[in-house]
Amino acid sequence: MRYRFALSFAALLLAACDSLPRDAAGTTERIERTHAMRVTVLPGTPDAQPALALVGAYARDHGAHLRLMAIHGEHAHKALEDGEVDALIGHFAKASPWQADIALSKPVARGEPDDKEHPVLRIARRNGENALILATDQLVAEGPR
Amino acid sequence: MSLHSGIPDAIAADVRHGERLEWWTLLWIGSVVVVMALVMGASQAMKSAVIEDVLSLIPAIVFLLSVHWERKRANNRFPFGYRRANSLAFLVAATALLAVGGFLVYESVTTLVRQEHPTVGGITLFGHTLWLGWLMIAALVYSIIPPLILGRIKQPVAKRINDKVLHTDALMQKADWQTGLAAVAGITGIGLGWWWADASAALFIALSIIKDAVGALRQAVAELLDGTPRALDSNAIAEDAERLIAVFKARFGEVDVRLRETGRYIAAEVDCAPPAVIPSVTELMGDNAWRLASLSFRLQ
Repeated sequence: MRYRFALSFAALLLAACDSLPRDAAGTTERIERTHAMRVTVLPGTPDAQPALALVGAYARDHGAHLRLMAIHGEHAHKALEDGEVDALIGHFAKASPWQADIALSKPVARGEPDDKEHPVLRIARRNGENALILATDQLVAEGPR
Repeated sequence: MSLHSGIPDAIAADVRHGERLEWWTLLWIGSVVVVMALVMGASQAMKSAVIEDVLSLIPAIVFLLSVHWERKRANNRFPFGYRRANSLAFLVAATALLAVGGFLVYESVTTLVRQEHPTVGGITLFGHTLWLGWLMIAALVYSIIPPLILGRIKQPVAKRINDKVLHTDALMQKADWQTGLAAVAGITGIGLGWWWADASAALFIALSIIKDAVGALRQAVAELLDGTPRALDSNAIAEDAERLIAVFKARFGEVDVRLRETGRYIAAEVDCAPPAVIPSVTELMGDNAWRLASLSFRLQ
């Protein structure tokens, strides 16, 4: 019985290999369904273009376009946590106080600074949306297309 | 070996075997901690697993310390030797097991109540970015194997040398591989978008760990309060203690017999005049003669 369970679990795992990970709140499916990815560029991010290009490429890959949403300051982080936007583009330090509440990408178009407190351009995603997080992490690692 | 110190020849080889197993435990679980720390990323579930693994080293460490002290000779400051170090180590090991269970319950319940959605992103290795969850699962599978094997080997040794610390350590190893398995299910659940899977699996396992820990703690307290010797795996009176009481009553009639346990050894007090011929320990204990460390006859 135990072996049968282990075999079924292994079979399930193998079958799921290609489709893992998925989003906890289904952001990727929603982007594909509505053909829109909601993105906010935080104020004071004059160099947002490379990050916008990356999320734009992600949106195109999923048959969607970017819908820029103007949300200011702290509200933007809350909106991301609540799933009202799909990604934030802005300057975040590696040791950002938001680190536990949102999923920060590696720096876009540059290496990780030595100083963990130094804010650099990153894409912030909603926690738990692991398919979106992995896909954008892959795009950040590949660099601009 | 003297009356109150040293390890009897009958179990010396098994005690050494137990020590070797504990050194292997420190080595393997230490390597597991390093591997897990390398891939844990920002995952709270993996951080909990690493903390749990670090705590799980405590029983192995206190076993090694208690055996070291058990070998020390009695002296003026400690005329009864250091054999009770094993009882103290048992209390520490049981408390560590309870701490692991309590920690897992706290982590799981707070995750479920706050509805935290765990994030497991990508990691770039050799130019390829892959899901960190796969590396976590590989590390967790590695973390399951050593405790699964070591725990199974320790159980019969613990029984032969009647060592509750080693037995509790085998329980800790069970807790280790079960939480590892739960974490594999949890990370897979996260991959499937089930944010609650990891915490629910950990909570289920934590309750079983707490049940084992509370049982061990009750035994440890009974031992320190000079209770009648308990069985290795429950709070019931040990079978050999019950047999010994029956042997005394058969020989000396309905006398009061008090047994207590110092580490792995039994001390007996019988309320009657010393007999002309003192029975040998083999007559009293059979194959486990080494267990009876002292016998006193007390006149009312």
